[in-house]
Parts: sequence; structure tokens; C-alpha cells
Amino acid sequence: MTAEAREATRDKILPIAWEDIPWWAVILAIVGITVGWSVLTSEEYLKVMRFVLVGVKLTLQATVISYLIGLIVGLIFGLMRVSDNPILYAVSTLYVEVMRGIPLLVIILYMGFVLTPMLRDATDGKIDIQGIPAAIIGMAACYGAYMAEVYRGGIESIERGQMEAARSLGMSYMQAMRNVILPQAIRRILPPLGNNFISMLKDSSLVSVIALSDLLQMGRLYVSRTFRAFEGYNTVALLYLIMTLFLSLIVRTVERKAAIE
Amino acid sequence: MNKTTPIIQIEHAYKSFGHIKAVVDVSMNIDPAEVVVIIGPSGGGKSTLLRCINKLETIDKGQIIVDGYSITETKNINNVRAEIGMVFQLFNLFPHLTALENIVLAQKIVRKRKKKEAEEIAHKQLNKVGIGEKWDSYPSQLSGGQQQRVAIARALAMDPKIMLFDEPTSALDPEMIKGVLDVMLQLADEGMTMVVVSHEMGFVRAAADRVAFLDHGALVEVTTPEKLFASPEKDRTQKFLSQILH
Repeated sequence: MTAEAREATRDKILPIAWEDIPWWAVILAIVGITVGWSVLTSEEYLKVMRFVLVGVKLTLQATVISYLIGLIVGLIFGLMRVSDNPILYAVSTLYVEVMRGIPLLVIILYMGFVLTPMLRDATDGKIDIQGIPAAIIGMAACYGAYMAEVYRGGIESIERGQMEAARSLGMSYMQAMRNVILPQAIRRILPPLGNNFISMLKDSSLVSVIALSDLLQMGRLYVSRTFRAFEGYNTVALLYLIMTLFLSLIVRTVERKAAIE
Repeated sequence: MNKTTPIIQIEHAYKSFGHIKAVVDVSMNIDPAEVVVIIGPSGGGKSTLLRCINKLETIDKGQIIVDGYSITETKNINNVRAEIGMVFQLFNLFPHLTALENIVLAQKIVRKRKKKEAEEIAHKQLNKVGIGEKWDSYPSQLSGGQQQRVAIARALAMDPKIMLFDEPTSALDPEMIKGVLDVMLQLADEGMTMVVVSHEMGFVRAAADRVAFLDHGALVEVTTPEKLFASPEKDRTQKFLSQILH
């Protein structure tokens, strides 16, 4: 029996392609359902859940908005990083090195307790950036630097001949970038961009240090009120895990779709 | 022969990369509808000279005038480049686009053609290079010879006045070469101005009006194919020819 024939017979017996099933996801789902069941049937966990749920909204909001801003900031600085213009290159390199060199926690503290009060005082209270926008700006600025490097890597991975072919047809540098280089580069950088999204969701928990009521902050609040640290942090961890797994699923789908195209 | 204005004028062009001199004091005029083949040992500056003509490399010194525009001084190099088609050794097709889309893209962006018009032209050019039925294939689904013909069609769709060929057949399997050379011969017959870097002596014999021999960046001699094969003036040319003709 040839390999194909064997496969065909097997497919008849087992119509499911077993090797295509993400086993890790199955195991996780089983564990998840078990944990979820015990959580949902426990009065104590339901109480925590109800309490921290408003935090989930803020966490998602802050993550999605700062990710979208970070994507744009990253693209702009990434393009500057590959530019021949020495000023653009110097400015973008400075930005990337500074932002990458400071911990996000410090950046968020800076935004909350240094920059926004300074701005408020300097403008006599006319410009008063509240906590959430301040945190979003801080996260976007920090992740923009990481994403700038991702874009740069993607752009530089495209063969030089692509730019030359586009330019020889009369396209300007930016036209060639937009129509020839970036469409190819973005396909290559989808995995790291997706990773950034997931780690940004987790890092958004740092905004709790400037007293924003995100998921972690609400969890801490619950624990400090009830002294139920076990249930409180279990719930927080579980909710973060559910969100990142969900994101990871989205990222995989997008990647697969791009690969097929 | 009538006295015509040359479409490409190269005057004392120099180009170096660091301490490597790629083009040294090259002067040459090329008339409209002329086919000039540049030959010479590898590393002799052939490709660099070709790339200087559409400013993929910027010359350090001298002057290159294409179709009346000094490419070193012109404010809009993109307009000049649109008149110069270029075909590369490694095809450089856009891998994320189909054959048709490869040919349509620059027509829309640079020539500002409507999608429908650009697609009609693309189909016409693909038929001309003999792979009209492959319009919906991605470059990765095409053989090297087919890819190179799509690349030629892509350049031709811009209605260029000049075509530059940078070793168009040297990355191809032997059985693919003829199809590409046939397209180039047809172009030469139609009166396209062509500058070709190639060692395909069959093409030189059949289509070249003049042959330029370039060594160490300098023009050793410019001659006709007849003279080249009968008796090259310079010893270096003769030595080189005896090596490549076996």
C-alpha cells in the first residue's frame, strides 16, 4: 500500500485530521472548563468576578487603544529608522533607545505623577490629561519603540531588488514603500506584532500603580477589603489568561489568513 | 546613416564604491532604436554602468543625459525612470502580487491609468511575451524563464523609450534562455532602444548594433559585432572573447 493510499483509507475511517487539532488548546480547554465550572458554581468566586469585571473593561480599552496608537507610532519611527536622512534616523534612534531603556512601570509613573501635573501647571489647568489617557500615551510611547524595531526588521528583510524594481518603474520612495515593501514586510512581522499585543495586555496591569481601576487594581482592592487573597488573585490571573488566550487565537487566525493569501 | 540626437549620452562618467573603481571615465552615445550590448569580465563595471543610466547608482563625476534630461540634475528622477524599463538578473517580481498585478501596479501609480485600461495593457504585454495564460499566477508558481518574461512585460507596459537588461538570462536554466532571448530579439526588431549586459553571443550576433567591451570600469573598445567576432582591435578584448567562446 502506498503512503497516499494508506492515508486515504485512514481518512475514510477517521474523517478528522488528528494532527491538525491543537492539542495544547484541547488540554487547556478541559482544564479551563473544570476551573471555570468550580469558579462559576462558587459563591465566593462569583462575588470577586462581579467586583473586578469593571476592571476588565478598562484593561481591554487601554490595551486596544494604546496598541493601535503604538502600531502607527511604530510604523512612523520604523520608517524613520530605515531612512537615509540623517536627522530622521538620529531622532528615531534616540526615541527607540530611550523608550526601550526605561521600564514601562517607570514611564507610567512619569506620565501619572510628573508629566501630567507639570503640563497642568504650565498651562494653568487648561491642559489636564487624566489618568487613563496618560497611561495610554505612556504605553503607546513605550510599545511604539518596540514596534518601530519590528517594522525596521521587517522592512530590512525584504530583498534590495524589490525597492530597485519599484523605483526603476518610476515609483517614488514612499510609493514603493507603501505598495511593494510594506505589504511584504507586514506579512513577515505579523507574529512579533501579535506577540506585542499579548504582552501589552499583560503589561497594562502596570497602570494600576497610578490608581487606575483596571483588572489588577480592582483585584487588589477586593483583596484589601475582604482579605481573600487566594480567590482574589486566582480570579485576576484567570481573567488575564482567558483574555490572552483569546487574543492568541485571534493572532493565529490572522497569521494563517495572511499566509494563505 | 542619418545624424540623429542620441537618446543616451554618457560623458566622462565615474563611479566608485569606496576604493573600488567601478566605472572610470566612460563616454558613450546611444542613438534611438540602437541595440548596444555591454560585455566584459565579471566585476568589470558592466552592471554598475547600466544602473547609472537610470540612477539606481549615482555617478560621482561626469554627466548622463537620457532623453534630454540630465539624470544627475533633474528634479524628478521618477519621470525619467518611467521612460526607462529595466530588467534584472533575478527578475525582482513582486512576490505578493500576481503576474497581472505586477504589471498593473506601476501603470496605475506612475502612469495614472485606470485599472481597466492598465489590465488590458497588462494582458496585451503578457500575450506579447508569450505567457498570456499565466496572468493569474504568482511569481512563485512560475519558472525562471516565465518570471523573467513577466518582468519584461512589466517594464514594457510603461511604454518606455529605452530598455535596460542586466544579465537577463544568467540566472536561468539553459532551456529557459531561448524564450527570453526571443522576446528580446522581437523587441530589437520593433526598434526599441536597448542596452544589454549579457554574454549571450547569439543575441549579440543577431541583434546588436554595437558591442562595448568594459574592463576594470573603463571602456576598452566599442565595435560592431562583425568586427568583434572577426578581429577585435584590442588584445584584451580578444583574450576575453577566446575565453568565453572556448
